Amino acid sequence: MDSQAEFRRLYEAHRAAVHAYFTGRTGDRQASADLMQEVFLRAWQHWDTLAGLPEDRRRAWLFTVARNLSVDTARHQRTQAGTERALAREPVPVGAPASTAVLGAERAAVVAGAIAELPEQQRVTLAMAAAGGMNSAEIGTALGVPAGTVRYRLSLARRSLAEALDDYDHPQEGS
Amino acid sequence: MNLDDDIAAWAAAVRLPAADADAIFRQIMATEPARSAAPVRAVTAPSAHVLATTAPGLGGAWWRQQAAGFAARMVAATAPLTYAA
Repeated sequence: MDSQAEFRRLYEAHRAAVHAYFTGRTGDRQASADLMQEVFLRAWQHWDTLAGLPEDRRRAWLFTVARNLSVDTARHQRTQAGTERALAREPVPVGAPASTAVLGAERAAVVAGAIAELPEQQRVTLAMAAAGGMNSAEIGTALGVPAGTVRYRLSLARRSLAEALDDYDHPQEGS
Repeated sequence: MNLDDDIAAWAAAVRLPAADADAIFRQIMATEPARSAAPVRAVTAPSAHVLATTAPGLGGAWWRQQAAGFAARMVAATAPLTYAA
């Protein structure tokens, strides 16, 4: 297999997971795409090294670069995430038509807002599982934590989301 | 709609479309797979120190020309004093 074909296979195998990782960190799809591009650009520039590594070490390499990039962009991400949260919190105007589409969009905003409010570790884990299609073991390897920790974080995240949606579905009188 | 559906809907909304992923791949392929290759884009803003020392501004030719002009003016300005001495 030539270099480009092999790199393409690596890209297709891990791009969703890397993008999901950054989505969990930044909460922004386009920023995550830019960061994902940077990770794979570096992988391509270091292909002479990566080509000789087994698959698990290649993935470890990708996520090491991803974590380093996250640290570098942490300040920018906090600003971005704050904007995302503010947008997600924007109240729906009173008297808005209660069509299915509007209700669906409102519910999606509640979900997005609740996910944005999750602690970062839980948000990253949830994004990698839901958007990246990774299992607990794969996420654990990528993040450097045990698979049991990943499952615990997912459980906490789901509980928080369930509570947020319950508040949305059954609003308290006078609140 | 249950929680799994809600999470799946959110994941679908944030997931990178295949067309965008293909475009990114093509951009990466346009670069050389060399360790020393310069990055295509800067992800983070460089610090002020880095900007002050490495940011490309005027070209090298401009600086050489300016330096040569300055040197010529200095020589011209100091030449009478040199001859007088």
